[in-house]
Amino acid sequence: MFEKSYTRSAFYIVIALFTLSLALVNTSCNDRGNKQNSTSVGKAYKPDSLSFLMKFENSLFPLPSPYLVSHLIKNQNISFYGNLTNKPGNTAQYTTSFKQALNLGVYGTDLSYTNLYEHTPQTIAYLNSIKKLTQELGLGSAFSPSFFESIERNIEHKDSLLVLLGQTYSKADSYLRESDRSEVVALILAGGWTESMYLLSQIAKETSSRELITRLGEQKHPLDNLIEVLTPLYYKSDEYAELIDKFIDLAYEFDGIIYSYSYKEPKIDVENKTTYINSQSRVIISEYHLDIISNKIEKIRQLIVE
Amino acid sequence: MRKILIITFSIFILSAAPSHKLYAQLMQLQHICSLYFSPEYITDGQEYFAEVKPDQSIEFRTTFFAHNTYRIVACTNIKRSDVLFSVYDTEKNLLFANSNYDNTPYWDFHFSSTVTCVIQVDVKNQKFTPGYVMLLIGYKP
Repeated sequence: MFEKSYTRSAFYIVIALFTLSLALVNTSCNDRGNKQNSTSVGKAYKPDSLSFLMKFENSLFPLPSPYLVSHLIKNQNISFYGNLTNKPGNTAQYTTSFKQALNLGVYGTDLSYTNLYEHTPQTIAYLNSIKKLTQELGLGSAFSPSFFESIERNIEHKDSLLVLLGQTYSKADSYLRESDRSEVVALILAGGWTESMYLLSQIAKETSSRELITRLGEQKHPLDNLIEVLTPLYYKSDEYAELIDKFIDLAYEFDGIIYSYSYKEPKIDVENKTTYINSQSRVIISEYHLDIISNKIEKIRQLIVE
Repeated sequence: MRKILIITFSIFILSAAPSHKLYAQLMQLQHICSLYFSPEYITDGQEYFAEVKPDQSIEFRTTFFAHNTYRIVACTNIKRSDVLFSVYDTEKNLLFANSNYDNTPYWDFHFSSTVTCVIQVDVKNQKFTPGYVMLLIGYKP
């Protein structure tokens, strides 16, 4: 009896495997057909999500965290530039998932910037914009109502808020990858990076802070990483292509910055499990390049927020 | 009819299994890694997750910014194995290797200047076992 039932189950599994393999072959053939068609049309190209993910995962820490940039600005004792951030009420004009994801990144940066300067009403307004965009992007399970409640409770505790936000972006990242929507993650990163660089470049020009100008000049590798993350999405639509072209154009300007590096032996504090990296890097950026780079960043940012 | 139902169900289970399994491994790794990630460090919100392949180490490139302290945590879901991670600069100078410190799963780094680094990750095991590695990086505000 047992043997008979075992044989029957095995038979069903074999049939299921066979049917599944046929289904996979069929899907793969369809995909190939689609790719061939789309190449000739030049649109509706479906990116190879596997290679995209692998490249994405190998671009470790591709961008400076928005908090890091905000901390850097604050640490220079520079006053708050409230007119530079995106308007929280602009969410209504972001009707496509492309714009919503980009501006989710933008608002994430703005939220950390206003939060660090303790502008609580503005931080709450950005939180509401983030809430709205996450709902429209279908990220409800990553950004649950209880999450927003805990953020609101911690709005005046800067560090707790940053930890909470970090954990949530991490949850959203896992959720989006698991649901095969890595392009949304890439756009959130692109929006966040652009807004950080917009704040950095505008404030650097305004204050002539050497530290901020240097930090802007160090963005060549992060920008290359961002382009690498976005490039597989180039043929997804014209708006992706336009955005990526602008980032590539910006990267050419970064090639004009002189960057030098000299290795120095690190010091190790075994007891505290810390290595002090003493190698030195230097960035030389001319006024001309600073102007060109900040103008190009401003135009990309305009494309995103308008 | 019953046969069709069983076949349909089997297809559903078989097709859903890889994605579910991957997600479960990701969650498991997140849990292991977070044990070494103390609250004073803020992540960039991304996990760096890669499949371990035979005779192939995994490399990640990243930029660490001046005057910041970062924590790197590396972990794996492969049983009875350690993750080896080494940090190099772009000129291939070795800045750190956890193999010199009992394969510690985490280490802190203070950068006096901005440096782009390559992090090489490998799994130390008697024989090749499939699995995943995860890196978490955070900075101390």
